[in-house]
Amino acid sequence: MNYKLVNSSFTGKLQNIKRTDVTPPIFIPINEENTDYQEYLAWVAEGNTAEAAD
Amino acid sequence: MSEIKVNSIKGVAASTAALTINNTDGTCTANLTNRTNRRLTINGAMTIAQRGASSTTNGYGSVDRFSVNYGGTDENPTQQQVDVASGTTPYNLGLTKALKVTNGNQTSGAGAADYVEIRHRIEAQDIRNSGWNYLSSSSFITLSFYVKSSVAQVFYGYLTTRDGTRRSYPFSTGSLSADTWTKITKTIPGNSGLTFDNDNGAGLDIFIDPFYGTDYTNNSVSLDQWNTHSSGNAFPDMTSTWYTTDDATFEITGVQLEVSDHATDFEHRTFAQEIALCRRYCQVYVSPRLRGVLAQSTQFQRMGFSFLEEMRTAPSAVWGGTQDVYAGSGTASITGQAAVYSNTHSYETDSTTSGSLAVGAGSSVCAYIGGNEATLTLSAEL
Repeated sequence: MNYKLVNSSFTGKLQNIKRTDVTPPIFIPINEENTDYQEYLAWVAEGNTAEAAD
Repeated sequence: MSEIKVNSIKGVAASTAALTINNTDGTCTANLTNRTNRRLTINGAMTIAQRGASSTTNGYGSVDRFSVNYGGTDENPTQQQVDVASGTTPYNLGLTKALKVTNGNQTSGAGAADYVEIRHRIEAQDIRNSGWNYLSSSSFITLSFYVKSSVAQVFYGYLTTRDGTRRSYPFSTGSLSADTWTKITKTIPGNSGLTFDNDNGAGLDIFIDPFYGTDYTNNSVSLDQWNTHSSGNAFPDMTSTWYTTDDATFEITGVQLEVSDHATDFEHRTFAQEIALCRRYCQVYVSPRLRGVLAQSTQFQRMGFSFLEEMRTAPSAVWGGTQDVYAGSGTASITGQAAVYSNTHSYETDSTTSGSLAVGAGSSVCAYIGGNEATLTLSAEL
């Protein structure tokens, strides 16, 4: 798995986690009830780090 | 005019009453096999496949609400929504679609960590509030489904809870004959150790498994009872015949979980009813009704629309293809998302375009039907 952080162009704050190892990419909300976000948090807990936002 | 006074009506050879009559208040309880609103499973007849009819996706890929998961495979299995052959028992009962898993070619054999499983996951609040007194061993739910395998063997499955101390209830299909639909029925009691939170998280998983390697099985596991859950103790070791047979197939349909001490007839719903239930977890839009504003000549912001149904949680979003948009003076195309804003009711996106529009910032932009049309898949799955 690979992820990239996505900021809002409106607020400049973190808005999504973008899963980039699949095509098309998945835009994941910052929401702990979302299972894709839960999977991302588990990936981070394993010591991985997402690519920084543009 | 005549009157019959009884307190129950029972079949000649039946052990329980079909109709139990209250002697004082004039009401009765009927043990009907075709009551409505009793099926807890969604898309059990496999009629809805929003993501497509065939996929090698590891997870939700074809039939809604049923996730086909696998690991350790040499060649990925394929999941499909397929037709049930006319004249078969499920077909004659109105079950004309099935979920089919076709095995890959597992050239390295059956590894201990290999698995192919079918999972149906139900929200905790929907079990907790189903009417099942899940803490009582005299209150029951019943799981029933039809299964067919191209390989004659015994298969296993299990129910497992997700809250509190997890418990699992393993069961066997018994020995299946090859290419023959068989109805499986399991009546499951409550247990004082079960926990189901009153929330929208995962509550109860139903697994029906073509293959589990020995990392997940243990011959000391007792079938047909609640056990403390452990990932290495799903059910007893199973033969690997199906898994080591290239292109072996495994099909299920008519999956019904209900609050009952026996299996009743499969509860059919219309296509519209079933897809509305599925849309709590997945919604697929072709040419979604996006309306937004132009920020620059090549950048749209906050183009959005409202969902057909409220989703379980804010969804993940996948944008496939190109969507043409119109701004009054000309057209351009969205080729992807830059950022997504969503909640359980609506979706918005910021995006850049492949063309530019000769209107100023703040102009309205809308997606339209008839040009290039993208597909937006929104997932709030369990």
